Amino acid sequence: MSFFGFNDRGHRQDAPGFSQPRDAFAGIPSRGLADEAEVLDFEETYDGLGDQLEESGDAFNDDTFGEERLTQQSIGKDFDFSGQTGGVSRAIEEERMRFAAQKAPARLAPKPASPPRKATKPAKTGYEGFIPQLQADANLWGIGPKRAPERAGPSGYQAAAFSSHATPSPAQPSAAAPPPARKILSVEEVEAFMRAESQQSAPPPVPVHQTPSYPQHMPEQHHFMPHQPPQQPPQQPPQQTPQQPPQQPPQQHPGFAFPSLQQHGHRQPQIHAQPTPPPQPTVFSHPPQILQRPHPPPGSQQPPAAARQPELPSQGFPPQPQHPQILQRPRPSSQVEQSAQRHTPAPQPRQILQNPNRLSGHGQSGPPVPQPYQRMPEGPRIPTGPAHQRGPSYQGPIITNPQQILQLSDEDRLAFMEEDSKRAKRNHKIYLLSKDNGLMTPQDKNFITRIQLQQLVTATGTVESNDMESVLNEDFYYQVYSQIRGAPRHDPHQPANQFAQTYLFQTGGRFAGRRNARGVDNHMQRMEQQVQRAVEAARAKPKNKQLVIEGSLGKISFSNAKTPKPLLNIRRNDSNSHPHHPVRRPSRVHDAAAERRVVLRNIETLYNSVMEMEDHERQMPPPLTDTSDSATVQQHLEWREKMQILNQRIWADLKVLEPFIQNSPTLHPFVAILSHPKGKKVMPRVFRHIDEQQRVTTLTMIVAHLDSLDVIAYALHDASAPAPLAVREEIELFAQAVMPCLFRSVNEAPLNIIAGVLGLVTERTTVSAIVCTKIGVSILTMLVSRAELLKPTPSADSAAHAEWEQWTETFNRLFDAAEPALPFVFPGTVLNADDVHVWQFLAAMGAASNPEQQQRLVMGVKNRVMETVRMGRTLPADMAAVRLGHVNLFMHAIGLDVDLLVG
Amino acid sequence: MASPSEPGNRPDEPLDLVRLCLDEIVFVKLRGDRELKGRLHAYDSHCNVVLGEVEETIYKFEEDDEDAEPVTIKKQSEMLFVRGDSVVLISPNPPS
Repeated sequence: MSFFGFNDRGHRQDAPGFSQPRDAFAGIPSRGLADEAEVLDFEETYDGLGDQLEESGDAFNDDTFGEERLTQQSIGKDFDFSGQTGGVSRAIEEERMRFAAQKAPARLAPKPASPPRKATKPAKTGYEGFIPQLQADANLWGIGPKRAPERAGPSGYQAAAFSSHATPSPAQPSAAAPPPARKILSVEEVEAFMRAESQQSAPPPVPVHQTPSYPQHMPEQHHFMPHQPPQQPPQQPPQQTPQQPPQQPPQQHPGFAFPSLQQHGHRQPQIHAQPTPPPQPTVFSHPPQILQRPHPPPGSQQPPAAARQPELPSQGFPPQPQHPQILQRPRPSSQVEQSAQRHTPAPQPRQILQNPNRLSGHGQSGPPVPQPYQRMPEGPRIPTGPAHQRGPSYQGPIITNPQQILQLSDEDRLAFMEEDSKRAKRNHKIYLLSKDNGLMTPQDKNFITRIQLQQLVTATGTVESNDMESVLNEDFYYQVYSQIRGAPRHDPHQPANQFAQTYLFQTGGRFAGRRNARGVDNHMQRMEQQVQRAVEAARAKPKNKQLVIEGSLGKISFSNAKTPKPLLNIRRNDSNSHPHHPVRRPSRVHDAAAERRVVLRNIETLYNSVMEMEDHERQMPPPLTDTSDSATVQQHLEWREKMQILNQRIWADLKVLEPFIQNSPTLHPFVAILSHPKGKKVMPRVFRHIDEQQRVTTLTMIVAHLDSLDVIAYALHDASAPAPLAVREEIELFAQAVMPCLFRSVNEAPLNIIAGVLGLVTERTTVSAIVCTKIGVSILTMLVSRAELLKPTPSADSAAHAEWEQWTETFNRLFDAAEPALPFVFPGTVLNADDVHVWQFLAAMGAASNPEQQQRLVMGVKNRVMETVRMGRTLPADMAAVRLGHVNLFMHAIGLDVDLLVG
Repeated sequence: MASPSEPGNRPDEPLDLVRLCLDEIVFVKLRGDRELKGRLHAYDSHCNVVLGEVEETIYKFEEDDEDAEPVTIKKQSEMLFVRGDSVVLISPNPPS
């Protein structure tokens, strides 16, 4: 009956049916039969390390594995048909195994109890006994309830055995009693059923049923051992019935539990493919351990599990190629295969990311995959992935094989599993994000980085505004950065430097290891140089934002990103109070142009004030009457107040009261104003708005500085060279603009003021020079004639007479000072007809003089009188009459008449 | 002319320098090799100026002979309005 070593006892009850695909690995291990005898008694190889394991510390497994329950639960399962189907197929498989396990020998005696797995390998290794745990564990992972609807699949006769352990979960009821008629569900049926179920049970009462795709993937593992049902230990059903919470949490931790399962799933078949038996046991034994780990030891099962664990590390583990594709093939049902294929894409990347080495082992059979056991002692050397090195919380040895977990303390295990789940999530995220990897070349990145750097380095504007929002809008990234750094920038330049240096440092360190690429190196160098230059430039920059260069019209200001450079920043001067006074520095070297500008500016300021005053004058509110309401009165009050303010401003701008500096090279500001034509022109307008006292003060000021007045200083003339045209124009202008003002003031001034002013003339000025100028003569005439009008009558009081005495005294001094210049008071020759002011002056002097002074006066000007009279005879009658009339002004003043001379 | 109100609140600007030249003899250089010298009566922000007692000097260059001295033409005007777009410079110090 036996063909090719097959068991001739007929088809095993627990074996897969003929309809099922052949197990690709089933026959391979038989090749190792030759070595079988010498190998691997479990009890012999067991070194007892498992006894040292602490198995009582599982109390916190709930906490460890239950954390993500709700999240997983919230994921709908409507979409996951493949996952559901996978669960179904696994359930089918398990049912069959469980059925077989009921008849199988006790697990504690695996070796004697284990029948030949196949006819070809009746006594394999002695470790097959542990393999059934895989199925049991899979149930414990919480998938169990899922298979309920489909348990009637290929092995429907196992329903009784199944119900004993699968019923506890509350979601079962609908599926607990599936119609017996349904033997095998097609994919469509399964999907329809699942849909209906999910609708019924939404929201499902127990989260276990919401198994996401990850856990459902696990069933695939079981198909690798479909031929070992007999070893299914009988204790398993009781294990699951309590439904300890720890069963479910592992589902929620795909990051840890799932990859480990996958590892086993892939590795187990390898053993079958291996001709060398010795390493095999380890592989066979450790998957169950891992799977059992979450369970609290249910008594009898525990000792073997614990006993098996320690032996594993001690075993050598030759490199083995992995054949995942092959592994997935032997699935018993087509549903499983479909679902698995739909399945695999999702978890695959995870594996890859978690351990790139594993990926390399996946697709190819050539290079041997480094084995975890060998790696373990070397720990840190393993560069399986960046995730392994990170993680501050778990400081234990690097765990590359699930087996190691068992050897860790509880704390370490917890930490490791947390870390592992975190890492898995992160890796998944990285995978999702890595889709766009490689879009930018390193050159692109460097280019962008340099642009950003430049902006950051130059963005040194001060953040003075408290408006956080606007600041954020301005340069968001830097603000966030500086907040993270916790370094508020005080100096605009400092943070930029700091940042630049930090950035430089970081990038340097980051790229330090990959200097191989020349292009990258080049860019990095360039960028570093750029940063260095920027930093140096920022340092070299003056701390002030502005630089005022002496003599320049404005300031030179520096720009940055926040405050662009103003092209012109001219200092604004406060023209309300002495605007230009600071510019006038007596100690300064005399600068004609600067002085001139200052004077011109003063004039403009004065004009502004005057115009403002005139404008204000036009805004005078309606005149006050007895019936005016309070508003009008109020308006008047305000108007007057403003008027007063403007008056004070004009007075200040007039600079009459500026301190006079003796021997100063510069003119008195007021005199300087008067030396300009527009300064002269403004005088009538100014005089309208200043009060009497101010006018007199102004008059006094002018008289005191008669010598300095341009109309006098430049008007000194001699007979041969008349004053230039410009001077004559100035004199004309002064005579027309200023003199009337002065005349009005003088005409209102009392005698004592006239005497005082005249005293100033005699004391402060050179009378002999003044009398030779038209303006000087005019002023003197004005003063003397005014005094003559004020001559007190004999009936006046003594005070008036005393004043008059004072005046007479002053006049005498004036006369004495002017007498020597009398022959030269006339401008030009006698042909010059413009001498009426001289005659007027002579007339005033003559009128004010006593007889003795009149005599001297006549002596002084006799020549001119005679010449004029003589010339009058040669002139036409009308012109002669004018000239003689002028002479008569004087002659009449002294009681004579030109006719006497003519006659 | 500037507004009579609140003159002090305005910051100084270039044209304020021109303002200082009001009613003074100024030298104005124009495009087209022309120069003016006269009393500045008024100006505005476009450098449009009104000059009084103006002496205008025009330099004419012979086209075929570059080395030849330019022909100078002088004109006197009692009052001139100069459009600002032709003004090159305004100087308070006429070159003697």
